[in-house]
Amino acid sequence: MNEPLTPGISAIQQDRQVCLVCNMDSSISENPEICPCCHSDIAPRIKRSQQKTWALLITAMIFIIPANVYPITYLLKNSTLYPDTIYSGLITLIRNDQEGIALIVFIASILVPIFKILALAFIALTVHFRWQLNPKKQFIAFSIVEWVGRWSILDLFVISIMVAVFDKGSLVSVYPGIAATSFTIVVITTLFAAESFDTRLIWDSNNNAK
Amino acid sequence: MDTIICNHCDMVSTRPILRSGQVAKCPRCHRAFFKTNTLKANKMFALAITALILIIPAFTFPLMSIHLLGITEGANLLQGALMMIEGAPVVTFVILFCAVLVPTLLTLCIAYSSASIMLGKRPPLLGYVLKLTSSLIHWSMLDVYLISLLVSAVKITSDADVYFSSGLCFFVVLLIVNITLISEYSSTKYWKYLRNE
Ligand SMILES: [Zn+2]
Ligand SMILES: [Zn+2]
Repeated sequence: MNEPLTPGISAIQQDRQVCLVCNMDSSISENPEICPCCHSDIAPRIKRSQQKTWALLITAMIFIIPANVYPITYLLKNSTLYPDTIYSGLITLIRNDQEGIALIVFIASILVPIFKILALAFIALTVHFRWQLNPKKQFIAFSIVEWVGRWSILDLFVISIMVAVFDKGSLVSVYPGIAATSFTIVVITTLFAAESFDTRLIWDSNNNAK
Repeated sequence: MDTIICNHCDMVSTRPILRSGQVAKCPRCHRAFFKTNTLKANKMFALAITALILIIPAFTFPLMSIHLLGITEGANLLQGALMMIEGAPVVTFVILFCAVLVPTLLTLCIAYSSASIMLGKRPPLLGYVLKLTSSLIHWSMLDVYLISLLVSAVKITSDADVYFSSGLCFFVVLLIVNITLISEYSSTKYWKYLRNE
């Protein structure tokens, strides 16, 4: 049917592309736009991958500021409204001797979003400027970003549980603040940034990739 | 010679012949290509139906309740998200998407595709269902939700008494079934079936 491919070399150099939807490979020159198997859009590399990743990363970098500065929740107690930012919430947890939970919240809400943005930006820069770093190590860093990324949604789930538990009817109630929306935007944009980044570019930009 | 191309690094390698229980990995980036043992379609279908039955109590029964100054209040997953729809609609949408919509749609998709194999049919919709499955599969976050629930419970103990409720049992079983479905789902296998290979 097709010309046999040579193992050990990238498929793009042998006029072959893989469809990311159905996993079938096809000839690049014969199928420039549509996968012959599942009829999805196809390209040897995700189109404008770098631009999409940067646009999403910059959005995340902007929204991470209000997410940390403004109140993420309000606590209404004895008709007084107490605002809480991510940071002040952490301090409260430590004061209440809940260091374990404080650590989980610190990792999910502060460390993971910052790590994701910095790591993805670094990998994207390495690819763009062809810095010739070890592709395997870059890919491991990317895999960590990918795996750890979904956990940053933890704090949003926690807020929704708190809001439901401390209902309007009772003496204490919880409301989401502006930072909750900003934080959601950070989580979503970083998840999409990782999804739109084409990891094959890591090897493409390496001169002696093996 | 039969070759395979890696999705993650684009390297061509020889397709290995696996003994049962082995996993094929890309020699360049070490990501898994495929496993030998994936569940048969009838088992996948049974799991998907189990998940669909569990979804209703897991999302609507109270997961936990608190006892504060003589008042007991329960909270379920849907309530938690929907109560913020006025103050923070974006947050509500994202929570509903990752914790309710994706797990439900994903289960429906797997039920549909495994039933197609079981009945030996290739309905025209199957291609779309498989496409939808591949775009949803990374967005199911029930595991994160369970940890969030535990974090919230510990947080609340400083203000009130916390009790876990009946919905939690359904939720935990749903989570186990959901994780099994996702890890046993092999998109390649279903696409091959659709192409009649
Ligand atoms: Zn395809
Ligand atoms: Zn690879």
